[in-house]
Amino acid sequence: MTVEEQVREIVARITRVDKSIITRQSTFKEIKADSLDVVQALVAVEETFGIEIPDEEAQKFQNFGDFVSYVENRVAQKEKV
Amino acid sequence: MAQNGRIRVAVDAMGGDYAPEEVVKGAVLAAEKGDMEIFLVGPINILEKELAKYKLINVSSIHIVEASEFIRENESPVDVIRRKPNCSVAVAARMIKSGEADALFSAGSSGAAAISAIQFMGMLDGVYRPAIVGSLGTFAPNTVMVDLGANVDCKPHQFLAFAIAGSVYAKKFLNITDPKIALLSTGSEESKGSEAVREAYSLLRNSGLNFIGNIEGGDILSGKANVIVCDGFVGNVLLKFYESIGGYAQIWTEQKLKRYPPLRGLVRLLFKGLFPATKISRGAEKNGGGILWGVDGVVKIAHGASRAPQIANAIESAKESVKAGVVESMKSELAKFNQGGKL
Repeated sequence: MTVEEQVREIVARITRVDKSIITRQSTFKEIKADSLDVVQALVAVEETFGIEIPDEEAQKFQNFGDFVSYVENRVAQKEKV
Repeated sequence: MAQNGRIRVAVDAMGGDYAPEEVVKGAVLAAEKGDMEIFLVGPINILEKELAKYKLINVSSIHIVEASEFIRENESPVDVIRRKPNCSVAVAARMIKSGEADALFSAGSSGAAAISAIQFMGMLDGVYRPAIVGSLGTFAPNTVMVDLGANVDCKPHQFLAFAIAGSVYAKKFLNITDPKIALLSTGSEESKGSEAVREAYSLLRNSGLNFIGNIEGGDILSGKANVIVCDGFVGNVLLKFYESIGGYAQIWTEQKLKRYPPLRGLVRLLFKGLFPATKISRGAEKNGGGILWGVDGVVKIAHGASRAPQIANAIESAKESVKAGVVESMKSELAKFNQGGKL
């Protein structure tokens, strides 16, 4: 499963929306994720991939695609090390 | 349950307007009964100092558990997860998950308690967020409302979980065998209400619960429904409005009788008895707060302004909820819906 698919599953599970409606362009508002959903998703993603997502970075995410890209980069960096 | 058979309650000793003083005092009052164990969670140095003020009769009934941080009034409840995962309410919640305690009590931020419960204890299968159920007491003794404020914005499926929680409450605490469930809306027709309410109508109709349809605000106290389902925004506004009616009725009546001092005295006397009875929170005051329904464990929350007697009652009531098996009842009720794929 790709990073994107895993992140999508996590977000879908937490927000309880069908994962098929989550696209890279979807904003958190569009998938009806509130602040708690977002924080829970961040924590779940951090635990799944063993990475840390600082709040300053998380605040920059405009949509699901931004979130996924950040996680993909961090995972790639981690694998290099 | 502890090996000695006593129920163990983890108390967020730093939560509440008068914490830790009143919380510790309340915990000591509850512990004096000797039939439960209380774990005060917070900074050890602060709690030891507080506890030293009391001559404990049952020394073995009260313990201190270290939590170096706590959530302050101006902090976001969501901070519990990422910024302060070791705050007092979070540590208390983790004690339930690890089996070190049977129930959690907090008079601090309800949001922080709810988030700690969600994150560190987990939700029951099929439930998205916890809800607060409350009895309408005096005017409608066989009616409960849910949600009373835990969820301001709700998704349709949450209304179904609210109905199940209200139904378990009505069966367990009001002894109603097959509670009648209604959705609060702006009209009795299915087409009335917000988008979420309209979608919830369809979910409830097909749920297998004893759903009687929509009711309007004017029917809340009629007794037509045993469980009234609404989102936490509506529920909380109604709760506080309902609580205020008694006080305003007294002021209005006294003003009307200004010219008849003996009658004014009589009214004051009557209201002294009636006023608390007109409050929805009458039960809450007596029992000291409400349960967060839907989380995997007993979580009792109380008003931030609670003093020691209410806190003692709430801790006692948390113990009773464990004994009554409210979480197990909720689990078995939810299982029926999960099997049918309805949640």
